[in-house]
Amino acid sequence: MKSIKSLVTGVAVSALSAAFLFGAADTALAKGHKICVSWKTFQEERWKTDEKAIKTAVDAAGDTFITADAQGSASKQASDIEGLLSQKCNVIMVVAFDSDAILPSIKKINDAGVKAIAYDVQFEDPSALYITFDNIGVGRLMAKEIYKAKPAGNYAFIKGDKGDPNATFLFSGIQEVLKEGMDSGKVKNVCETFTDGWKPDNAQKEMEQCLTKQGNKVDAVVSENDGMASGVVAALKAQGMAGSVPVSGQDGDLAAINRVALGTQTVSIWKDSRQLGKAAAEAAIAMADGKDAAGLPGVAKFNKGKKGVEMNTILLAPTPVTKDTLGAVIDAGWITKDKACAGVKKGSVAACG
Amino acid sequence: MSGGVEATTAHLVAAESPVKRFFRATEIDTRLLGMVGALVLIWVGFQIFGGIITGEGVFLTPRNLWNLLVQTSAIAVMSTGMVLIIVMRHIDLSVGSMLSFVGVVTGVAQVYWLSPWLGADNPFIWVVGVLVALGAGAALGALNGFLIAYAGIPSFIVTLGGLIVYNGLAWWVIRGETVAPMDAYFELIGGTPSGSWIGGTASWVLGGLLCLAIIVGIFVNRSARARFKFPQRPIWAEAFLIIVGCAIALGTVAVVNAYPWPPKVAESYATDHNIPVPEGGLILSHGFAIPMLIALGVGAVMTFMATRTRFGRYVYAIGGNPEAAELAGVNTKRITLQMFMLMGMLVGVAACITAARLDAASNSLGQFDELYVIAATVIGGTSLAGGVGTIYGAMLGALVMQSLQSGMTLLNFDSAVKDVIVGSVLVFAVWIDQIYRRRQS
Repeated sequence: MKSIKSLVTGVAVSALSAAFLFGAADTALAKGHKICVSWKTFQEERWKTDEKAIKTAVDAAGDTFITADAQGSASKQASDIEGLLSQKCNVIMVVAFDSDAILPSIKKINDAGVKAIAYDVQFEDPSALYITFDNIGVGRLMAKEIYKAKPAGNYAFIKGDKGDPNATFLFSGIQEVLKEGMDSGKVKNVCETFTDGWKPDNAQKEMEQCLTKQGNKVDAVVSENDGMASGVVAALKAQGMAGSVPVSGQDGDLAAINRVALGTQTVSIWKDSRQLGKAAAEAAIAMADGKDAAGLPGVAKFNKGKKGVEMNTILLAPTPVTKDTLGAVIDAGWITKDKACAGVKKGSVAACG
Repeated sequence: MSGGVEATTAHLVAAESPVKRFFRATEIDTRLLGMVGALVLIWVGFQIFGGIITGEGVFLTPRNLWNLLVQTSAIAVMSTGMVLIIVMRHIDLSVGSMLSFVGVVTGVAQVYWLSPWLGADNPFIWVVGVLVALGAGAALGALNGFLIAYAGIPSFIVTLGGLIVYNGLAWWVIRGETVAPMDAYFELIGGTPSGSWIGGTASWVLGGLLCLAIIVGIFVNRSARARFKFPQRPIWAEAFLIIVGCAIALGTVAVVNAYPWPPKVAESYATDHNIPVPEGGLILSHGFAIPMLIALGVGAVMTFMATRTRFGRYVYAIGGNPEAAELAGVNTKRITLQMFMLMGMLVGVAACITAARLDAASNSLGQFDELYVIAATVIGGTSLAGGVGTIYGAMLGALVMQSLQSGMTLLNFDSAVKDVIVGSVLVFAVWIDQIYRRRQS
């Protein structure tokens, strides 16, 4: 594996140096400030959505947009940031690959008098601005929607991969909301399990086992993401229970939004990364103009990180996509009406007509 | 002289314990028996343990056993090919990623290409969907096989590369999205909708046919032995085999038939078909589900291919001694290519089952399945040194693996504990097998 890794890195480095040459050529032409981003990895589809949103806002303000991709390497990210500093960026947004290993690079940014923004991934430096979605809130929102639909009964919890801190993080938000119901004995936890690799087919098996154990006496399912929700819904469907048991999810998967329209899934918590990109770009543009981060709209103090460092933070609220709010997702252009409403009976969902 | 030989044989037979004589007469593979014993132990263990912990053991209920058979089918299908790959002293690490790629391709083909073109619910869609899956699997398998056989790259490397490449391709096709829902006919392959349960009567007929096949098989075998003047099994041993074989076949039918339709599914079926619902609800039997039949069929075809065809004999010959096989005139390169292509097609079958069962395709489908397939094969008594391994052993191994997983989930085991136990069982099973083999030789 090691040799493969070094080979991949080698290819990546050469690709990146080429990218740098083009990036440098670009900047010479532009006026205004330079807003730069250091991505941790560009392999995932979602970052392309973020980038588009940031670039649009930066271009509109007449500033220049420069990026570097660390290709999933902490050491590459350090040299990327050095590269960005030498290109005289005014603000650098960092999606940290490793939130501890990044700190020396952040110090370099501060020393150069450049402003740093922690984009989506937190690193704990008091002078940086942290912008993200309220992650504990995602768990809370999920549980809230399910609790609203089923205030009493047997609950099953399909959690994500045990190695991913997010799975536990989400669950703490879920528990927070359901605590009241659990304490009064109205909500009963009948099945609770982690799911290897967040895999839908594993979630399906877990749900089948849960239904077998319970003799189908399951009234609500809190699934921590949409992929697993697809497995849960398939298991419920085999028992003729899909649609009558509320199921949660997150990510705004296109298939999940369709399930919401069909009524087999209750809610998908959607973190609109374009909203995140736009908010970060606007903050960056303002900071490049010399405004203080603490004075920007929506900024509050946040100290819930590992080390408890207090930072200026913008926490965006995720959007719960339910039957009632389906129209908003379609209007935002995240999904076409055809895809969202495929197979939906006429007149059953307002947004589908 | 001949009198002397007879006396020695008689002496040997007399010295044999009744148990040994029983196994020699029935020609039952004692390792198979060991595996069945382990399986029974696991099942009964979970039942009792579940009874102690929750007050009511659910493992040995028809419903759970039915679920277990469906959950095992995809891995079982792939393990039948993996046996022969490992017998040939190769390995295929790419099956999991290949499954996700093939699953995603057939999903996209159905939902984004065929459905808008032919209109949803066109019965043609599932046929093309399956053909696309089999074709894609066969093509990727053939590519693996070509690189291994003709370019001379070790199979470990080719398929390790394949694992990474196909993973990337699956991502590239779908971009992390989930394609859903699958075509309504295609979904039947997975065993989720009620249309994919063949029902009580058909299951009894099938069980009867299996029983009949066992009887015919034994008689054909007897007459073949008589023709070539081979020693015959004693009549009591033949009768024993028929009784046990039929008992297993009919017992399985009884179990799958004892699982009634979920009340809500039966209810909506009754309203759809204008059937009056009797008091206490409509009781319909599940019977076998389509994925179980697919796995059973694949197992039968693969066993036939491995034991009764030239291709199968060449595979075992190559596994036993590649150089000798080549010198004897076996085209080892072609056989290797064909074997990997066959493996790819089996992955295609498994991809259809998995995607249909989930009613969705995403690139996380099938990830790490290669580990479960290889583990099932090895638990099933296949030697990584090559030359040794049986199809039914691997399928039983798959059932053992899934039984462990399913039983522990039923008991709400922590998933870290699950991993530890499954991994330990794998190593333990191989250790026991090694000890047994050393004793034998």
